[in-house]
Amino acid sequence: MAGALVRLRAARWSRPALALVVAVLLVLLPLVSSPYVNYQVTTMAVFAVALLGLNVVMGYAGQVSLGQSAFIGIGAYVAGYGTTHGWPLLLTFLLCCLLPGVVGMLVALAAARLRGLALAMVTIALPIVGTPVAKRLSDVTGGSQGLTVSWLDPPSWVALADDQWRYYVVVAIAAVVFLLTRNLVRGRVGRSFAIVRDNEAVALSMGISPYRTKVLAFTLASTIGGASGFLYLAVVQYTSPETLSFGTSINLVVAMVIGGSGSIAGAVLGAVYYVLVPVLAGQLDASRTALLSGAFLLLVLFVLPGGLVSLPRRVQQLLTRRRRRSATPSDDPGDRTGTPVLTSDGRTP
Amino acid sequence: MKSVQHPRRLSGAVALIGVTALLVSGCTREEASTPSSSGTAEASPGITDTTVSLGISSPLSGATAGPGSCTVAGLDSFLEAKNAEGGFTFGDGKTRKVTLEYLDDAYDPAKAVANFRQLVNKGIFAYVGALGTPTNAAVMPIANQQEVPQVLLTAGAGEFSDDQQANPWTSGFVPTYTTEGAAFGKLLVDANQPITVATLVQNDDYGTGYLDGFQSAIEGSQVKVLDSATYEPTDTSVDGQVTQLAASKADVLLSAVSVTPLQVGVLTKAQSLGWKPRIFLPSNTSTPATVLQPGGAAAYPDVYTPSFAKTPASPAFANDPDVQAYNTAFEQYGSKITKTYTPHCAWSYAEGAVLGEAFSTMEEPTREAFMTSLRSISGFQAPLLLDGITIDTTKEDQAAVFTVNLVRYNGTGYEPVQGY
Amino acid sequence: MSYFVQLVVDGLATGSIYGALALAIVLVNRSTGMINFSQGALAVLSTFVAYAVVQAGGPLLLGLVVAVAFGVVLGAVLERLVVRRFEGGDPNTAVVATIGLLVLVSGIAGAIWSYDPRAFPSLFPNETLALGGVFVSVRSLGTTAVLVAVMVALQLLFRATKLGLAMRAVADNPGSSALSGLPVSRLLMLGWGIAAGLGAVAGVLVAPQLFISPTMLDFTLVYALAAAILGGLDSPLGAVVAGWFIGVVENLAGAYVDVIGNDLKIAVPFAAMIVVLVLRPQGLFGRRTVVRV
Repeated sequence: MAGALVRLRAARWSRPALALVVAVLLVLLPLVSSPYVNYQVTTMAVFAVALLGLNVVMGYAGQVSLGQSAFIGIGAYVAGYGTTHGWPLLLTFLLCCLLPGVVGMLVALAAARLRGLALAMVTIALPIVGTPVAKRLSDVTGGSQGLTVSWLDPPSWVALADDQWRYYVVVAIAAVVFLLTRNLVRGRVGRSFAIVRDNEAVALSMGISPYRTKVLAFTLASTIGGASGFLYLAVVQYTSPETLSFGTSINLVVAMVIGGSGSIAGAVLGAVYYVLVPVLAGQLDASRTALLSGAFLLLVLFVLPGGLVSLPRRVQQLLTRRRRRSATPSDDPGDRTGTPVLTSDGRTP
Repeated sequence: MKSVQHPRRLSGAVALIGVTALLVSGCTREEASTPSSSGTAEASPGITDTTVSLGISSPLSGATAGPGSCTVAGLDSFLEAKNAEGGFTFGDGKTRKVTLEYLDDAYDPAKAVANFRQLVNKGIFAYVGALGTPTNAAVMPIANQQEVPQVLLTAGAGEFSDDQQANPWTSGFVPTYTTEGAAFGKLLVDANQPITVATLVQNDDYGTGYLDGFQSAIEGSQVKVLDSATYEPTDTSVDGQVTQLAASKADVLLSAVSVTPLQVGVLTKAQSLGWKPRIFLPSNTSTPATVLQPGGAAAYPDVYTPSFAKTPASPAFANDPDVQAYNTAFEQYGSKITKTYTPHCAWSYAEGAVLGEAFSTMEEPTREAFMTSLRSISGFQAPLLLDGITIDTTKEDQAAVFTVNLVRYNGTGYEPVQGY
Repeated sequence: MSYFVQLVVDGLATGSIYGALALAIVLVNRSTGMINFSQGALAVLSTFVAYAVVQAGGPLLLGLVVAVAFGVVLGAVLERLVVRRFEGGDPNTAVVATIGLLVLVSGIAGAIWSYDPRAFPSLFPNETLALGGVFVSVRSLGTTAVLVAVMVALQLLFRATKLGLAMRAVADNPGSSALSGLPVSRLLMLGWGIAAGLGAVAGVLVAPQLFISPTMLDFTLVYALAAAILGGLDSPLGAVVAGWFIGVVENLAGAYVDVIGNDLKIAVPFAAMIVVLVLRPQGLFGRRTVVRV
């Protein structure tokens, strides 16, 4: 117990210090790394935001959503339209959040009474129907040829290359979105999400409306998804109906669970996974990417059912188990209840 | 509380390690450049005195992976076979071997862009032959901004060939969809009689390109379009559309369907409704063995298709030396990438020869010199192209192949058309 | 009039394809309480086995039998080796594990057989019947007949056999089933096995029209899921009826409503599904599940 107390005290100062180190590294990174690395990290930031949104609704509020790609798509289209029509950047960004947020809210108003698979099917309708709708609205969206925009070039007063400037813009916006969301899910709203996720009847008895809470979670998720659409366009500089495809939604759900459901760091780790695994599979054998990424996905889930974010816990758990086994052959059940890790594991050892 | 705090600190450490790893791997900001020993001009990335490195990103998994894999397999077959003979002779007198780096984008524009950047970062000399309109459209502005050749694309959308002033580093290989559609229109107009047409096209640039070409060709003639329908490539069946079009009882059905099972569905459905029009098929879904025979195409009075390449499996070409060379090379190299055939395999094989032709007149090891050579090929008879079809890259608003022969199905293979 | 009937008949034929896969989804849900995204991929792999038998010169019926046997074993083995790890844990993780299986199994099929669609022989003759100006292919009739037979068999299995009751009990509440002496783990394996075997039947039935390829059922799976949900996840009858409903409504909307057209016709069944679910969350034929606190 004393050791834990020391660790707790250490955590108090080490976490801000760590955050500072990470921030400094993130600021310095683009100055020294190649354009390709900058591009990859920027892409991770884009999908980290998309996964964060998904995490709000699935991880924190426990409501399945297979529609996240639609919000990225809408956000990207709004950004593209705004840029080509010379709207101020800030206004464009706000609309990128607002419009998907409104769409998400409207869908949630109808669907939030559903649960489980019924909810999943209603949300998957968004990308399924959104793709042909995007083709239909070709005056705005460029139809199936898509929308190419060249924007966010570094202003003349900064001595930065394209990739560095885009990195800073995207990572800065992503950081702000992360901070805001983090505060939100750690506060009253986050608590109501958790209660609704765990038990709606309890929520009702506490005066929390599950329906309104779910609508709020969906609205937040789609707003954040829209923001990531803005960032997507900043990085890819192109969007087409394929951006909305439901395959992307499914891959995002995979990346969210792989990263760690209901965890801020999990969203970041999920994005790293989302961006790096195709690269890795391509390096191994580009004509077997599906086989490799499927195998890799299952492997990670087998070892870490709680996602990548549970890796440190998992390592520690294995270490203590080994240590304990060598010290005392009998288990100590009292201690195990203190670590809630095993429940996400789904099995008792 | 402690059990919550603790892992978070550790996950922070994980993030820290990740960032540090990236920093280390990111090495240095300086652009790596390999100076050439040849002297006159500094060599572009990806080319040395003995090697040149090419890259391609196509869909190698997912629904479009059939054609996508073929754009890699055919090209790789030609290049590797040529390497085995010693390599390609360049205009500067050197002989170089070609390596082809290929990646899978699963038809996702964002992945295609990431792949393109990855290939450029690895130091490819040029990006060649990639399949897919949205994927190539996403890559095009970046390629032109970075001045990396994005050439001989296996995508028939006009935008890759229309405006070479705006996109000097991009070029298409296969005839545009408009070219194919126009060829059909012209055949009907030349018949000089009233003909009614029904059209079924894919709801994207592929379908609209076809329709645009066709419609501009029949403008002011006796050819009339009675009814048109569209479909989505993800549709399970197009029976409803065919039923709808059959009600028009048109003389001709233009079926610009790019999905093999759906095209077979069109052929089976129309005849099962008792509607037997003359049928026009696009070049990518008109392989006798995989489309026409399963679809029972012999029931129709005539089935036409535009063609510019030989079908290697066709008995008519069994003794053709090009086809024999292709079959040998594909068996040895391409079959590692795909085991199924689409016409894209033959097309990308021919594209390898076009690259070789461009290399042969390229006097400096630079991307600029490559583009100049590539843009000045004319009258080149690439292997597997039909007699009378030659490569001409000098036209400012056309793909490298911009003529097609209309051919007619004779129950086993294709034969030249004499007229409607 | 015959045009209208023809559209309905076409829609029913397409709907049978959705219904076939939806049945497998219902079966796995009914017997394990899970949603299995890899259902389509497992069906495709089994169908490829049938394809291999036919390629080797065997008759298609033998291919079907081998494919079903392969499917049953594959489903049971995957349940034991992969899915078991995630049962009883976070349901999202379990769903993602089945997505992992989907990607892996299609990847394996792609590595062996490549991606371009191949023609597949039909169990039924390639002929068309003309009934008063309406044309129906024998293949569609045969597919529908098999589908209805399988549906009735499933309905009987769950309603009238001890095995079916035991499987339902395990799906509803594995804990108390174990306490009352049911062999839970064997029943779960059996549930996955039967569902994958049924998937093989569905695959062999629809492959002549869709052509066999690793991605053959990727998009159909979306329709099939919609059909399963719309019909009520626990009702075989509901899955089939909803499959037909989707096929017909889609066709009619595409042909008659100009604003919708062929590109947006997919929106109609989804809109209908949303309306039905909002009014009746358990689906058209599903039983209401009581949420206990």
